[in-house]
Amino acid sequence: MALLEVKNVTKQFGGLTALNDVSFSVEKGEIRGLIGPNGAGKSTMFKNIAGFYTPTKGEVIYDGQNIAGAHPCKVSGMGLVRTFQETTLFDEMSVFENALVGCHMTARSNLFSAIFGSDRQRQKIAAEKTMDVLEFMGLADRKDQLASELPLGSQRALAMAISLNADPKVLLMDEPFAGMNPEETNHMMDLTRKLQDKGITIVLVEHDMKAVMGLCGYLTVLCFGSLLAEGTPEEIRNNEKVIQAYLGGGS
Amino acid sequence: MSIKNLIICIVILAGLVALPHFLAYNFQDLLIFLAVNVLVVVSYRLVTLTGEWSLIHVVMMGVGAYASAMLSKMAGFPFWISMPIAGLTAATIAALLCFPLFRMTQFYFLIGSFAAGEAIRLVWIYFIDPFGGSSGINNLPPPELGDIDFYEPIPYFYMTLIIVTISLFILYRIEKSRVGLTLNAVHWKAPLAESVGVDTWKYRSLALIVGSFFVGIAGALKVHYLGVVTPHQFGIGVMVFVLIWVIVGGYASFVGPIIGVVVLTVFDQGLRASGIVDPAVQPAVYGAVLIASILFMPEGLEGIGKRFFSKSSGENA
Amino acid sequence: MELFLQSIVNSLIQGGFFALWAVGLVLIFGVMGVVNFAHGELVMVGAYTVWLLHAQNDVPFLIAIPVAIIIAMMIGLVMERFLFRPNRTDPLAGLICSIGVLFILQVIAHEVGGTGPAKQVAPPFNQIVEIGESLRIPMQRLFSLGVAIASLGVLWFFLTKTKLGWALRAVALDREASALQGININRISMIAIGVGAAMAGLAGALMAPLQNITPHMGHNVIITAFIVTIVGGVGSLSGAVAAAFIYAAFHTFVTAYFNGTVATICGLLIMVVVLIIKPTGIMGVKVSE
Repeated sequence: MALLEVKNVTKQFGGLTALNDVSFSVEKGEIRGLIGPNGAGKSTMFKNIAGFYTPTKGEVIYDGQNIAGAHPCKVSGMGLVRTFQETTLFDEMSVFENALVGCHMTARSNLFSAIFGSDRQRQKIAAEKTMDVLEFMGLADRKDQLASELPLGSQRALAMAISLNADPKVLLMDEPFAGMNPEETNHMMDLTRKLQDKGITIVLVEHDMKAVMGLCGYLTVLCFGSLLAEGTPEEIRNNEKVIQAYLGGGS
Repeated sequence: MSIKNLIICIVILAGLVALPHFLAYNFQDLLIFLAVNVLVVVSYRLVTLTGEWSLIHVVMMGVGAYASAMLSKMAGFPFWISMPIAGLTAATIAALLCFPLFRMTQFYFLIGSFAAGEAIRLVWIYFIDPFGGSSGINNLPPPELGDIDFYEPIPYFYMTLIIVTISLFILYRIEKSRVGLTLNAVHWKAPLAESVGVDTWKYRSLALIVGSFFVGIAGALKVHYLGVVTPHQFGIGVMVFVLIWVIVGGYASFVGPIIGVVVLTVFDQGLRASGIVDPAVQPAVYGAVLIASILFMPEGLEGIGKRFFSKSSGENA
Repeated sequence: MELFLQSIVNSLIQGGFFALWAVGLVLIFGVMGVVNFAHGELVMVGAYTVWLLHAQNDVPFLIAIPVAIIIAMMIGLVMERFLFRPNRTDPLAGLICSIGVLFILQVIAHEVGGTGPAKQVAPPFNQIVEIGESLRIPMQRLFSLGVAIASLGVLWFFLTKTKLGWALRAVALDREASALQGININRISMIAIGVGAAMAGLAGALMAPLQNITPHMGHNVIITAFIVTIVGGVGSLSGAVAAAFIYAAFHTFVTAYFNGTVATICGLLIMVVVLIIKPTGIMGVKVSE
């Protein structure tokens, strides 16, 4: 059974239909690209999955449950974690604290344990796990710096470290390569593959065709709010409708 | 807490225990109000940790004060029971207010909390039975414990000091715990916190409820010493003073607001004693201090201290 | 019946005042993003000016009014230039500064007026206009209503028919985009606060003969202005004016048939309800996500 299944999702804003009866499914362990020309509805789809929008019609099935319309914090608590398009961090907190927030679901404490320190063991484990994640993202030596003081590449890595620390089963990535130079893009692609090796399923919305073609095993193409095509990068590259859409869309 | 900080705390506490014996009677009074105000600003800081500036904090203090006053006056409850209930009442009202208030953020929250607070205050004024209207409730009994005379300022100060110290310790623990970390995260980027499973509504509510609990206790402490509770003790003007203390002291750290309330209270008394400034003009001095602190020291007094110390350590290196 | 008719007239007059208070608050918030907590004190300054000039020093009422407007305006301009402009990126800082101004203005009023009972100004127009058999309206109130409506009309004309008014509304809609279009934000802000403060000063001057003048009269003003602004939709001037008259009618009738405190409590609760259901107000539009 598919891990994430989008079933007949329609999203309307007033009279405008941003998504029209879109269905696709993502299998466990794959890297799926969600692409399409500007205004195709990629971002809208992304927000419908992540719980920021409620679909007008249709279902989003994750791990056997319909999560359409569930609050973002519930969705992420179930292991479906999103990243943000622009660099989004807790600016005035240290790198370590940033990443530490990520493991909220496993390490959160209540008032009682906060006051009496009764969950010290759990907090210690959380801190160790956070250090492991920072190590993995290559940020361990910057752990005491303020997030706002990091260079752009490291900020993106930190953003991923935060999501990663939330133990995602599915990671929804919103244009992770936007604004990156080729070197940074390559580094980010390597990191994404390493995440896949950890068994994390990845869905990414992306403009950068080169990165998407190199990274994804399977692509879903949206155009004007409808599903246009699905297939391997090779199939998509040679798909007549897709070529038309991109040329016509001017992207 | 490091050993150094622990020693500083013990020294300060010892100083506070000795202090009232060197002060005149009216300054002993003042010391009690100062201790209460320290609890007010520190509990307010917990509310602001999530980035929302509430204008209802002082009214919550009043909710606690009224609860304790009514319980002890009308139902004959001893202070030792009515005081914790004061905290719980304020926390309960805060919990109920979370439903409407935290559907708003920033400017809307500010105005919404102001409106809700004013409405509560007007209810006290309007319903003479049971709230006593504009003149409130008077002849509140002081606490009773053995032979101790709590009409005297020094025993009352010691009791206040103990309760405030315990409260500050709890608030400090909360802030330095994972709960405090999460509150901070909600402040800096609520959507990002949500993306890793933080229920931001719940944490904002938690901060307001816990802050209201402690300020409710502060309210009970204040009015049982004064012996009277009125709606005017908890008006927007008083709230503004809380804002001034917190902002002038610096809200970025735990000690900032404490520094603010202590320094400004001493400053205030200094002005009064010097006789240079007419007491009627004092609010204008406060207003000017507030504006100056916003314009010239955005991090507050605490920030200035930090800059000074970091500079001196830089010279040593 | 008499009470009913009288209440209708009173609500119209109150509505005029409420609208004058609120439009300034809306303009300042819209253009500068600052909540001016000292707005009620600008009204108070207007009232004190009339008291000082007209009641104490026999300056004609019709000359005291423009002086009151100019003084309130000057205070507004100083606030914008020295307090709000340096804090443009931090609306909270602007708000806090305005609270500082609030204290200072109250103390100045206290020093100017001295202690003692609330100040009063004898109405310069003391004729009574009789309409029908039972309705008697003091000329002073009619004059206030007329001036209030006329100045709101002038403001409407300025905002919709002049180039400057267009620029001002553009800034209120989107400050950054307007700056990119070459609109001078600082200049527009000065105009916004100038107009807003002038309206407040005018309201104070008109109110002076009708009510007690105290240094704390601004408190009631700011609460009412908040209610009207929120209910009318933050950033919507026409919404604020409409809400001003509606709320005035509500408040006057509840006060007449029930109690003034209850009227204010209800007003505050209505405002909270509006904030919950539609934070942008009943007539406000959602500008951006």
